[in-house]
Amino acid sequence: MHRFRSTVGSVRVRLFGLLALAGLVLSGCAMSLDGDTPQTTLEPEGPAASKIDGLSDLTFILAGIVFVLVEVGVLFVVWKFRKRKDDTGDELPEQLHGNTKLEIGWTALPAVILAFMAVFTVSTILDLAEDPGEEATRIRVVGQQWWWSYDYDIDGDGVYADDDVIAPGIENPEEYETDIEVANEMVIPAGKPVYLEIEARDVIHSFWIPALNGKKDAVPGRTHYLSLEADEPGTYVGQCTEYCGLSHAYMRMVVHALPEAEYEAWVEEQLAPATEPQGAEEQAGAEVFAGRCASCHLVEGTNDEYDGATVVSGAAPNLTHFASRGTYAGSIFNLWQDADGNEAVDWDEIGGELNRNQLEAWLRNPPGEKPMAADDNRGMPNLGLSEADIDSLVAYLTSLD
Amino acid sequence: MAIVERPTTSEALELEAGPRHASPDDALGVFRRPQGDTGWRSWLFTVDHKRIGIMYGAAALFFFLVGGIEALIIRTQLAAPEQEIVSADLYNQLFTMHGVTMIFLVVMPIGAAFANFLVPLQIGARDVAFPRLNAFSFWCFLFGGLFFNSSWFLGGGAADGGWFAYAPNTSVIFSPSHGMDFYAIGLQITGIASLVGAINLIATILNMRAPGMTLMKMPVFTWMSLVTQFLLLFAMPVISVALFLLTFDRLFDANFFDVSAGADPLLWEHLFWIFGHPEVYIMILPAFGIVSETIPVFSRKPIFGYEFIVFSGAAIGFMGWGVWAHHMFASGIGPISVAAFAVSTMFIAVPTGVKILNWMATMWGGKLTFTTPMLFSIGLVTMFTIGGLSGVSHAVAPADTQQTDTYYIVAHFHYVLFGGALFGFVGGFYYWWPKAFGHMLREGLGKAHFWTMLLGFNLTFGPMHVLGLQGMPRRTHSYFDGYGFNVWNLVSTIGAFMIALSFLIFFWNIFVSRRDARKPEWVAPGPDPWDARSIEWMTASPAPTHNFDHVPVVTHRDEFWYRKYGETDDHRIVRIAAAEDVAQTGHRRDVHLPAPSYWPILLCASFPLIGWGLIFNLGIAFAGGALALLAIYGLAMEPADDPDGGHGHHDGHADHTPTDGSDAAASPTDGDADKETTLVD
Repeated sequence: MHRFRSTVGSVRVRLFGLLALAGLVLSGCAMSLDGDTPQTTLEPEGPAASKIDGLSDLTFILAGIVFVLVEVGVLFVVWKFRKRKDDTGDELPEQLHGNTKLEIGWTALPAVILAFMAVFTVSTILDLAEDPGEEATRIRVVGQQWWWSYDYDIDGDGVYADDDVIAPGIENPEEYETDIEVANEMVIPAGKPVYLEIEARDVIHSFWIPALNGKKDAVPGRTHYLSLEADEPGTYVGQCTEYCGLSHAYMRMVVHALPEAEYEAWVEEQLAPATEPQGAEEQAGAEVFAGRCASCHLVEGTNDEYDGATVVSGAAPNLTHFASRGTYAGSIFNLWQDADGNEAVDWDEIGGELNRNQLEAWLRNPPGEKPMAADDNRGMPNLGLSEADIDSLVAYLTSLD
Repeated sequence: MAIVERPTTSEALELEAGPRHASPDDALGVFRRPQGDTGWRSWLFTVDHKRIGIMYGAAALFFFLVGGIEALIIRTQLAAPEQEIVSADLYNQLFTMHGVTMIFLVVMPIGAAFANFLVPLQIGARDVAFPRLNAFSFWCFLFGGLFFNSSWFLGGGAADGGWFAYAPNTSVIFSPSHGMDFYAIGLQITGIASLVGAINLIATILNMRAPGMTLMKMPVFTWMSLVTQFLLLFAMPVISVALFLLTFDRLFDANFFDVSAGADPLLWEHLFWIFGHPEVYIMILPAFGIVSETIPVFSRKPIFGYEFIVFSGAAIGFMGWGVWAHHMFASGIGPISVAAFAVSTMFIAVPTGVKILNWMATMWGGKLTFTTPMLFSIGLVTMFTIGGLSGVSHAVAPADTQQTDTYYIVAHFHYVLFGGALFGFVGGFYYWWPKAFGHMLREGLGKAHFWTMLLGFNLTFGPMHVLGLQGMPRRTHSYFDGYGFNVWNLVSTIGAFMIALSFLIFFWNIFVSRRDARKPEWVAPGPDPWDARSIEWMTASPAPTHNFDHVPVVTHRDEFWYRKYGETDDHRIVRIAAAEDVAQTGHRRDVHLPAPSYWPILLCASFPLIGWGLIFNLGIAFAGGALALLAIYGLAMEPADDPDGGHGHHDGHADHTPTDGSDAAASPTDGDADKETTLVD
C-alpha cells in the first residue's frame, strides 16, 4: 500500500514522550528515529495549528519543569533518607504529622500555575472558535464509512450538490452544474481562510489535518464548524480519529492547498460535467460503469437519476472527476505514480503515470484490499468483474479528469 | 485462609441441650444454611468478607491474564507496519475487550478485593454490614465478567464498539454481531455488583467502626475506599441507564440513539462520560489509599498531612463530577462548554498534586527501607506523576484537540491506570499477602517483578507519547510505513512482553512462596511482619475468621503503632512493646458470626441466563428469572443462622436468640465480651 508524505522539508520532532522513557526533559530536542513524520502535530503549517502549538509548548514546558522537580525530588528523598546499613533501626525518625503552612502553600502553588494556564487556554479556545467571516471558502465535509466527501457551495445559494442524497426528496440535479462534490481529497486556496461545516452520514467520525488544525468530530445529525488555513501551498495529510468501525484505520484524508489562480482553475474544471468517453475501450468502460457501478457512484452527466439508496450511509464517492484526484478508497491508495519518489502524490503528479496494478487489484476485489462490510451494504462489494471489464473500467475511470 | 476447626461433638451436644427458640428454620426445613469452613463448598457459600476479598482478587487476576493476552496480541499486530496477524474485525474486538476487561474486570474488582478484605479489618469490625449481600456482589461481578467474555464463543464475535461504545456505531446496523449485546448486559450485571458493594461498604464504614475510631482516625485506605464507594453509588446508575437505552435499542428496536428518528449521539457521550470520569477516580483512589498505608510504614513515619490527604481525596470525589466533558473537547460541544470543562479539569489536578507532595513529605526525614511494597509505592508516585502531567496537557483543550484519540491519550491513561492503580495494587498484594495467607511473598522475586515491570511499563507506554504527538491515531488495526511510527511501535511491543515477563515472575512468586510456607523449616511471619501502624496488623496472620478476639478500643490514628511505641521523658520515641505482645492471637472460639448461604451464588447464576435469554431465546430468560425468584425467596426465607453452621467459630449459643436481621454481622458493640476490657495506651 502507498502512503503520503507532506511536501514540507525535513521534519523535526519535538519529543515530549521521551520524558517518560528516559526521565529527561527533551522538549525542544530534534528526534526522528525512522524518517519523516508527515502526520505530526508538532509542525504546524497554518494559523490555527500554530496557535495550538504555541499553547502546547507552554504546557509542555511547565509540565516538564514540574516533572523534573517532582521526579528528581522523589529520587533525592529516596536516596537521602534511605535507611543506612549501620542503622540498627532502634531509633525512629522524628514523627512529624504535618505542617499546615506547607500544605496550604503546596495547595496554592499548583492552583496558581494552573490558573495562569487557564487564562491562555480559555482565550485560545474562544479565539479558535471564531467564524472567519464571509470571505472564507465554505466547504461541507461529510464523513461516512470509510471515506470523506467535500461539497463546495460555489454559487453561494446555500444549497450543496448532494443535498438530495443527504435528505431524499430535495430535487436539485442542476446543482451539480453550479456546485462541486468531490471525494477523499479536499482542495483549498493557500493562505486563505476556509470554514468547514462538518457532518456525518452514518456513525461518528473525526476530521483531522494535524498540520492545519485540531480535530473536530463529525456527528450524524449535527453540523460542527472548523476553521482551516494553510500558510503555504502543499499537500497535507490526516486521518479519521474517531473510531468508526471496521476500516477506521483506512479512513484518511488529503488536503491540497493551491495558489489562488490554480485553485480557481481547479474550480472551473470541477464544475464541468464528466468527460465523454472516447474510443471503444472507454465506451465499453462507460457501459460497465452504467451497469455495475452507477447504482452507488455518481458520474455527473451520465447517471443523474442515481439515488445512492443501496448503501447504508446513502452515498458512495462521486466519481465525476475521479482522475483529477491523487488517491481513492479513503485515500489509502495512490491513483498516480509517485514520480519523484517522495512517497506522496503531489499536485503536479496527478495525471502522470497511472498506478495501474493497485487500481486493478481494487476493482478485482475491493473487500480484499480494504476491510469493509459489503455484505451489510457498507463499503464496496466484490462485483466479480471480468479482467476485460476491469481493463475497460480502468480506461474509462482514468479518462474522467 | 484460616482453616477453622469444626465443632466437636460434645459441644454440639451441649448446644442441643441448650434452650431453643422457634425459628424459621423449624418451619421451613428446606432452607437450611450450608455448613463448614473447609472444602470448595465453603468458598462458594461463604459470606466472610476476607474470603470474598480473596476471591475478588483471584478472579481479577484471572481476567488480568485474559486482558493481558488480548494486549499482547494487539501489540504483536502493531509491532511493524501493515501487519495482518489479526484481521481488522478481530483487532477491533480485541481492543474493545481489552479495555472493558481491564477496567471493569481487573482494576475495579482489585479495588473491591482490597476494600472487602481490608475495610472491616482496618475499622475493627467482624465483617461487612450485609455479609450475604457482599457474597452476592462478588458472584454478580464474576458471573457478569464470565457472561461478557462468553461473547467470544457465543456472540458471533465479541464486542467491537470500543469500551466507550459511542452511538450510533453500536447500533445493530453498524455492529451486527451480538458482541455489543454482551457488552451492554454484561456491564449491567457487573454494575449491579458495584452498586450493591458500594452500599454495603458505605454502611459498614459509617456504622461498624471500633469504639473510639472516629472518621478522622480511620486509616487512609479506608477513607479512600469510602470516597470510592460514594463515587460508585452515584456513577453506576448513570451507566446503567445508558446501558439500558443501548440494550433496548439493540434488542427491542428502540430509538434512543437512532439519528434518523431524531436522536442526538452526544446523549450517549454525555451519559457515558458522566459515569466514565468518576470511574477514573473509582479506579485510582483505592491505589492512593494503599500507598498512603505503605509509604508511612516503610518510612517509619506517620503520613504527612493526614487531613490534607483525606480531604484532597474527598475533593477529588466531588470535583470528579464536574470534568466529564473533557473527554469531548473535539465532539463539537461548543466553545463555552469546552472552556468551562477545561478550567474545571485543570483544577482537579490540585488535590491530586497535594497527594503526591504529601507522600514525598512523608518520606522526607524518614528511614526508608525498600521492600517490594515500598518499591511499588514509589513506582506509583513517580509513574502517576507522568500520567497526571500529561493529563494537565489534555486540560488545555486546544492542545487536546491535537492529542485526543491518538496514542498520546493511550500513553496518558496507561500511566494513570497502570502506572498509578496497578503499581499501587501490586504493592498492596505484596504488603497484605501475609495478612491474607499467613505467609510472605519472596522479596527477591518481588524486586525482580518490580524492576521488570517498571522497565517494561515505561518501554511500552513511554513511546506512545511520541507516537501520539507524531499523529498516530488510536483504535487502528494497522498503520502505514512512512509516517515515522515504526521504531517506537516496535519498542512498545518489546515492552509489552517485558510486562508479561514481570507478571510471570509474580505468579511464580505466588507459587513458590506458598510452597515455601509448607516446608518444615518455614518460619511464620507473625501478625506484624512490616512493623505496621494500623490495626489490621494487630490480629493474627492470616486473619482469623472473626478478625479480632476482642475488638480494639481505638484512641489514636495509627492505633497499633501507639501500642508498640511510646515517648520517653526526653522526647525520644522508643519501642514499648513487641508486636506479638500487643497483637491478638486469633484463638478465641466463641464469637458468633453469620452463617454461610447458598442463595447469593444461585441468585447471581440466574443473571447470565437472563442475559443469554434476552439475546438468544426468551425461554432461557424466563428460566433465569424463575431461578432468580427462587433465590430471592431463599434469601428472604432462610433462617437467620444455623446454629450448627457458622461461617467461623461456633459459640455456645447458651442464650442466643436468632434475630430476624439475619445479615447483621456481630457489631463491635454487641456485647462487652467482644470489646477490649483494658486500654493499652
